[in-house]
This record gives sequence, structure tokens and C-alpha cells, in this order.
Amino acid sequence: MGRSIFRVGLPQSNLERSQAMTSSFLLHIQPAKVHKHSLKAGYSLGLGLISLYLFFILIGTGVLLMFYYVPSTDRAYNTMKDLQFVVSAGLILRNMHRWAAHLMVLFVMLHLCRVFYTGAYKRPREFNWVIGVGLFLMTLGLSFTGYLLPWDQLAFWAITVGTSIAGYAPIIGPKVKYLLLGGNIVGQESLTRFYALHVIVLPTLTLMMVAVHLWRVRKDGGLSRPDESGDVVEQIPLGQLPTNKSYGLMELARGTTPQVGKNPEDEVFSWPHLVFREILLFLLVAAVVLFLAIFWNAPLEEYANPIHPPNPAKAPWYFLGLQEFVSYSAFWGGVVIPGLLVTALLLLPYLDRNRAGVGRWFARERMVANSIFTLCLLAAIVFTIIGTFFRGPNWGWVEPWRRPPAITEGH
Amino acid sequence: MNHSPAQDPNDVSRRGFLQLTLGWLAGTFAIAASAAGAVRFLVPNVLFEPSQLFKAGKAEDYPDGSVTFLEAERVFLVRQGNTYRCLSAICTHLGCTVDRADHGYHCPCHGSVFDDQGSVKGGPAPRGLAWFQVALSKDNRLLVDKSRTVPADKYLVLPTKV
Amino acid sequence: MNRSSMVRFYGWFTLLGLLVGGLVVLGYYKDEYREWKDYQRQFVQEEVRRAATPQQKAVAESTPIEIRQILLPDLNRVDRCTTCHLGVEDPSYGGYPQPLAYHPLHEQHPFEKFGCTVCHRGQGRATTVADAHGDVAHWDQPMLPLQYIQASCGQCHEAAENPAAPELARGQQVFETSGCRGCHKLDGVGGNIGPELDKVGARRAPEWLKKHFLTPAAVTPGSAMPPQKLSETNLEAIVLFMLSQTGESAPGYYASMKVLPSVDQGQRLFQQKGCIGCHTVGGQGGKVGPVLDDVGLRRSPEWMMLHFRDPQSVTPGSVMPKFGFTDTEARALTEFLLHIRERNLASTLPSLMNSAERGRGVFRKYGCAGCHGPDGKGGVPNPNAKTAEQVPGLIYVADGYTKDELKKRIFNGQREITPLDPKRPPPPLYMPPWRSLINDAEVDDLTAYLFSLLPKGENTGF
Repeated sequence: MGRSIFRVGLPQSNLERSQAMTSSFLLHIQPAKVHKHSLKAGYSLGLGLISLYLFFILIGTGVLLMFYYVPSTDRAYNTMKDLQFVVSAGLILRNMHRWAAHLMVLFVMLHLCRVFYTGAYKRPREFNWVIGVGLFLMTLGLSFTGYLLPWDQLAFWAITVGTSIAGYAPIIGPKVKYLLLGGNIVGQESLTRFYALHVIVLPTLTLMMVAVHLWRVRKDGGLSRPDESGDVVEQIPLGQLPTNKSYGLMELARGTTPQVGKNPEDEVFSWPHLVFREILLFLLVAAVVLFLAIFWNAPLEEYANPIHPPNPAKAPWYFLGLQEFVSYSAFWGGVVIPGLLVTALLLLPYLDRNRAGVGRWFARERMVANSIFTLCLLAAIVFTIIGTFFRGPNWGWVEPWRRPPAITEGH
Repeated sequence: MNHSPAQDPNDVSRRGFLQLTLGWLAGTFAIAASAAGAVRFLVPNVLFEPSQLFKAGKAEDYPDGSVTFLEAERVFLVRQGNTYRCLSAICTHLGCTVDRADHGYHCPCHGSVFDDQGSVKGGPAPRGLAWFQVALSKDNRLLVDKSRTVPADKYLVLPTKV
Repeated sequence: MNRSSMVRFYGWFTLLGLLVGGLVVLGYYKDEYREWKDYQRQFVQEEVRRAATPQQKAVAESTPIEIRQILLPDLNRVDRCTTCHLGVEDPSYGGYPQPLAYHPLHEQHPFEKFGCTVCHRGQGRATTVADAHGDVAHWDQPMLPLQYIQASCGQCHEAAENPAAPELARGQQVFETSGCRGCHKLDGVGGNIGPELDKVGARRAPEWLKKHFLTPAAVTPGSAMPPQKLSETNLEAIVLFMLSQTGESAPGYYASMKVLPSVDQGQRLFQQKGCIGCHTVGGQGGKVGPVLDDVGLRRSPEWMMLHFRDPQSVTPGSVMPKFGFTDTEARALTEFLLHIRERNLASTLPSLMNSAERGRGVFRKYGCAGCHGPDGKGGVPNPNAKTAEQVPGLIYVADGYTKDELKKRIFNGQREITPLDPKRPPPPLYMPPWRSLINDAEVDDLTAYLFSLLPKGENTGF
């Protein structure tokens, strides 16, 4: 019976190692053999995989949480309290979900940086970069829609700020805001829509895009690597096909699949080299998420009160840089600059066609591109830090190391 | 005793084997425990339905020989002398609320008829009405537990006082 | 595939596998070992110890360790206090230490219908001591200190009439006589210099309220409120009364319980509904309906209840309208009618008083004493005001104003107060325009009252 499920036992021969990959549904999106360079931890840092694992953890914990959460303004907050106090493992699962979400936004950003710095967006991987930027936006969308669901002060006002920023876009801004909120205010309609987006629409779109993203990695010849090995070619002239391999049609059309048999010493079997590393990485990610979930609780503030905004009301951390921009100018800061940045990201591989420096970190040939990117990155980080720590009531400048004046509130 | 690496690269030393087994055990345990945890998570610890356990007021509130219908709980509180019993008012046929007749009970939906003991006397009901456990709470109220059915001859007897 | 890399891999695999396994176990323990389970076990142990028969012991030992909660859908609350407080209904736990202690005085407010947090506040859904008692960040209704518990009665019951909440009644009295309404609106009546007080009890803690009464400017920078001179008892009472103003509205079942059917409430309803318009009491009133002085001797309470519910059903041809009284209101009115002789109505029914007497009621209603002093005697400090750094008293207004001028002054108020020394900050207190807050009839009565304040024999002939 085992044979009917697992067609190949623990591989003992090279043939079996190949078959382990090709005959398995879960594994077959990965090639039977990978280039050694792709396995280098220092090259890719596993950032894409980490993002994927975090996504799986989020799906798993998210589905479980759906059995208790109710997307109603009367009940949502109470279900959060019930998860914390009454449901077995409720607190840990909720914490896992929250920390994995923040980590995923972070790691998707890091993955984007890695791909940029290694020039891995260049030909033939241009479109995969575009899908990647799309995935980045999906991740932000997932995090943003999920942020509202607890319906506490933190959630309510962060979404109020975030959707207001969206509303600044010319012509379409107010319409998009109206669609998102299901009206003019952040209320029950908003909660319903955000819930639908968060649990089904965005995850489905993201999963589909992830599938294409991984497929493209395969079809584009695996992870990017330095050109010296000389095994990325444009086309193989028909007369020069090696005779020791029979090619499928797709491999004839674009000669970018790993040329098996061309550089045998550079390739290793995915089973076990790739797969085992992937398992280890998953264990590491799971350990980190569990650790954070056990020792730090996700925040839950007071029940959402539309009459009493906190001062200041802040967007989620990944939008705080944006909120800082907006504080200078709603149009230029909130619409033009982010719009330009996203457009620049999307067009990047079609603007930068120079194939030099692919497969290496901080290649000197790409000094200009790397510098521009680093500048933008640093600016984003600085503004996010300012928005997080240096902005206090009325968005005024505060120094976080100074004690705030004693607030003589009633509590 | 550690051999030098054998020809077959799949050989592992004893220590490696131990490590491997430990790792697999821990990993499998983690997966199994997580699955068990997920299942336990799904089992509700509290219910948001009205409780099956409720207080039916003081014993003195019910006159001798009375059958009182408690609408919210869909039960009849029956008092005979010093004995107190509680009969379900939910017809065993399809769940309608039965009415009190001169003797016994009658279901308006499909005509089931029950006698004073709750047994079926006619109609489509498959079995008699259930009797629920009646006890006395710490603050001297009649305590009915709809999750516990008792035989028709089990009832709460209170010392003669009322 | 070489051995050393496999071994390295196995090593990491073991390490990480153990790490994840260990964390799962840690998570399990953190989840499984909860505070409330210890408290429940304490209770079970005590029950076992007290068991008199082996039967009882078996029952006690089989008590399940689980979360207990009281569902209150009408109040949108769930109270889990009884998860730890297991002896609340059992008188034999009187005198035990918390959380096992018995809760006395719950006959009128059964736990199944009221829960715990409507009176004691705190966080009902929580299951740890700190969170449940509400002394945590991000929960703005911590448990009310026991000395202020009567504040909760005021959420549903009229403050002035509940014999079980004398502190609350005292608090309301202090509020009305201190003239707080001069600056603050409560239930829609009052001035608009200070904030409305309808929800102050839900937003402010007892300590803050106390400090605020004694030194307002210290807790609210820039506040114009003068420090209140109150005795300790009165201070506590008014704090309690403030805490009772939570703005909560009780639905359905609870609203019908709102009015205690007392003689006081009946009298109040009698006045509010204007019964004197058709009926005579003490020789005064309308002639449409019968005299009511000894109605208690002629009619039974049952008859009166039926009559309030539907006058035509007991008196065919009656022109008395159906007022739509709730049962509790009808009972209150019945109580009142049975005791009408004992109540000296003339001094309380507005239509029976003269203008100045009514004006005194207006003076009290709008809290003029808050600025102008009790009975208009003055003495309330207004730093840097030219008028001897005080809000002027009112007893000599008859000398300085005609009735019309006084009316105008009340309607228009006085925003700019002449400072004594222009270099110092302007005086904080000013008179708001009462035009939109008070009606013409009331103003007429008020001026009559103010004129009557002039001390006898002191006609200075202005």
C-alpha cells in the first residue's frame, strides 16, 4: 500500500533520486537536479522560501482562527478576547498568526532586496520580477486587510489612516476608498469586505501567483547565478544539440533549462540536497514563529471607538514611512512618490537591460543601480523609523528617549 | 565503536544514527503534537447557548397538584405534594411544543398524545416525553438539569414545609 | 553525496527538530496550566473536605474543572467571574477568603439575569485575575472599589429613592445643591461652560474624580472650575454619584425594572404627568376628575392598577387618557395615591406655588449656586475679576436691575469679565448665555426669585 502512495521508497540510487522529485506532486515543481550555486545559503539566504513558509503558517493558523472569529463589529472584539482566554491554544495560534504576518512582510521585502542586489531580475527573469512585485503588493494587502479584523482601537485607526492615504490618489482615489470601505466610513461594511478579501480573495490570488512565480523560477533556469559558468545561453542552434540527451519540445524553444549533462560537476540531485535544506529551513522558521508566539502576545487595545482617536493615529509599520511622507504633502508624499516607486519597481527589468553582474551580490558593474536602490531603501527605512519612533501627538516631533509628560487621564 | 567511512555512503555511524532517530522523533512528535493541538483548539470550551442547567424559582412558588409551563425553557414543572418533577415539553416526534390537556399532554402539530407520566398514548411520537433531573440549589431554588434525563419515578422530595 | 555533509545535515535536523518539539511542548504547558484551574481545584478540595457523606464526597470529587460563564445576551456581556468565584451562591461560604466567598444581597438581582460586571465592572470575558479585575492596559472599566459600589445602582435606579443606596442619594443631593449644573449639563439640563457629565462615570476613575473636585486646575490644566469645598463624606458621595453616570442604557427586561415603585417615584410621576390639571388635591387643581385626597379609602390598589392601565375599562365614559404606564410606574402611582394625605403637596407642585417659590426651583435646577454661591450669596472665587476677585452675589440685583434688564442679562450672559489687573491672566469664570438653555416662563420665575433675595429693610433706593 505504501507503494501506491509513495511511488519511490527512500532513494538508494541516482535514478531513484530523480524519481523522488518527478513522481511526487508536492516536489515535482522542483527540478530533479539543481545547480550547486543555488544551494549556497549565503547567496539567496533562503528568503523566498522563508516568505513561502511564513505564508503556509499563516494559512494554517488563519484557517483555524476562522473557526472562532466573527466579522461583525459587535462580536469581532469579543471573539478576540475569547481566543485569548477561553479557547485552547487560542492565544498561541493568534500570536503565531500575527508575528508570522509581520515577518512575512519583512521577509518579502528582504527577498525583493536580495533579488535586486544579485541582479536576478534581468533577462530571462524579467516577468518573474514583475510577478514578485505583484506578490509584494498582495502581501501588503493581506497584512492590511487582516489588520482591521480585531476591531480594536489599533485596528480601526490604522485602517482609517491607511484608507485615507489611498483616498488621496487623483480621480480614482476616492472611488477606491469607497469600494474598499463599502461606504464613506470605516464600519460593518468595511469589516465584511476586508474579511472577504483577507480570507479568500487575496490568499487565492496570492497562491496562484506563487505557483506561477515558482514555475517561472524553474522555467527561467533555476535561481540566478554568475555567468562565468557560461551555461545560460540564448538559443541552441539546432545543429548543435548534444547527442547524449533527448530534449522535450519546451526545452528546444528556450535553451534556459539547466543543461543536464553539460556541467555535471556543478549539479547535484535535489533529493536530498535541496529538499533536506528546505526541510531544515522550515523547521527553523517554525521554531522562530513558535518562540515569538509563546513569549510575546499580539497587541489588543480597547474596543474600537470612532469618537476617540488615539493621538497620534498610526498606520501599520510598513505604511508609516508613507504616513510620514503624507504629513509633508498628501499629494506628492502620498500619491506621487509611492506611485513612482511602484512603477519604477515594475518597470525595472525593462529599463535595466544590461546583463552584467547577474548572480553576484553588489557586483561592481552595477554600482549605479545598486547605489540608487540602496539610497531609496535607506530613505524608506529612515522615514519608517521617523514615523514609528519620532512622531507623537498631532504628528509632532518627539524624542523617544525623553519621558512623555505625565498624562493625567482617568486611568 | 566508530568505523571509518565504509564504501556505501549511506552508512552512518552509531552516533549519527542516534542523532538521526532523535531528530526524526522530535520532528514527528512536533507534527503530531501540532495536529493534536489543532484538533483540541477546535473543541469548544464554552458554549454560547442558553444553559441546560437553570433555576425554576422557589419550591413555594408552585401550588400543590400544579403543572406549570415554563415557556422559555420548554418544560413543565409538576408538583405533587412534596415531590417536584420536570417534564420536557418537546414532542419526541418532530420537536413541537406540546400543550397541557386535562389529563396528560397533547401535541398540536401531528396529534401525539401523552399521559401524565409522559408515556405515548397515541399519535406518531416514537417514545415518551423525557423527565429531567430536579435538585435543590445552594440558594434554595429548584435546579433543573436538562442534560440529565431521569426515569419517570425519580423526583425531588422536599421536607414538608410549604 | 558525501558522508560529512549528510552528518552535518543530520546534526542540524536533530537540533532543529528538538527545538521545534521543545517549543511545542512549552506552548502546550503554557496553554494547559492556567490560573483559574488552581482556584477551581482549591474549591473542589474544600467541597471534598466539607462533604458529610461518601455520596456527597463522590459528587464533590467529580466536579469538572472547566470555565463557567453567565451569558447575558441582552447586555452583550459574558461574565466568567464564577470560574473562580465558586461560592457566590452558597451561604455556607460566608466569611471565606476570596475567591471562594459568598456574595450576599443578590436576591433582587439573580446572577443568571445580571451577571457580575454590570455592578462590579471589570472584564467579564477574562479568565486571569489581573485581566478579569480590569487593572490592565487597554481596558477602561476596571473593577469599582467596593466603597463606590452604590454608583452602579444609579445606572438603572433613580438615585434619590433607593433605600439600599443611601450614599448614591446623598451624592445626588450634594450635586444638586452645589450648583454643578451652572456649568455642566447632566441629562440635558445645565450650563455649557464645562463638559457634559452624562458619561463621566464610564471615563474617569474614582481617584481622578476626587482630585478633580479638590484641585481641578491640577488635573485639567486651564480649567475654570473652582476648587470645591466638601466634607470628606460629601466628597465621597459626589464621586460615587459621578461614577453612576455611565450613559449605559439597559434594554428590555432591565428597563422595565428601572423605576422602583416607591411613593417618591409616584409623586414625581404625578407631577410630571400633570395630573393636577384634572384632579384636585388639597383644595387646589382641576375640576374635571374626582378629588383625590382620600382616594385610598375608596379604591383598592387592584382597581387603581386597572384604572391606570385602561381608565375606560373600570370607569366607562371616563375622559382620562390612557397614559401607557409600565406596570412599575402604575404601581408607583398607586403607592403614592395611597399615601397622598401624608405628602404636603402644595409645597412641591409647581402650579400651586407662587412665582418666587417656583423661581427658587429654577435657581436650583440650573445650578446657579455653582457660580453665584448658595442662595445667591456669592463667595465663589474668580481670580483677577474686578468684582473683588469673586463671582458677584445676587442678593442686591433688585437694586441694580429692572426685571426686564435682569431677564436680558440672564439670556445674554456676560462673556468678557473686566479684569482687576490687565497684566494678569483673564478671569476664568464667565456667565454663559442662557437663552437656549432656559425658557421664558422659567426666566420670569427666576427673576421673581432673585428679586425676593433682597434683605428686608435694605432698600438703598438705587
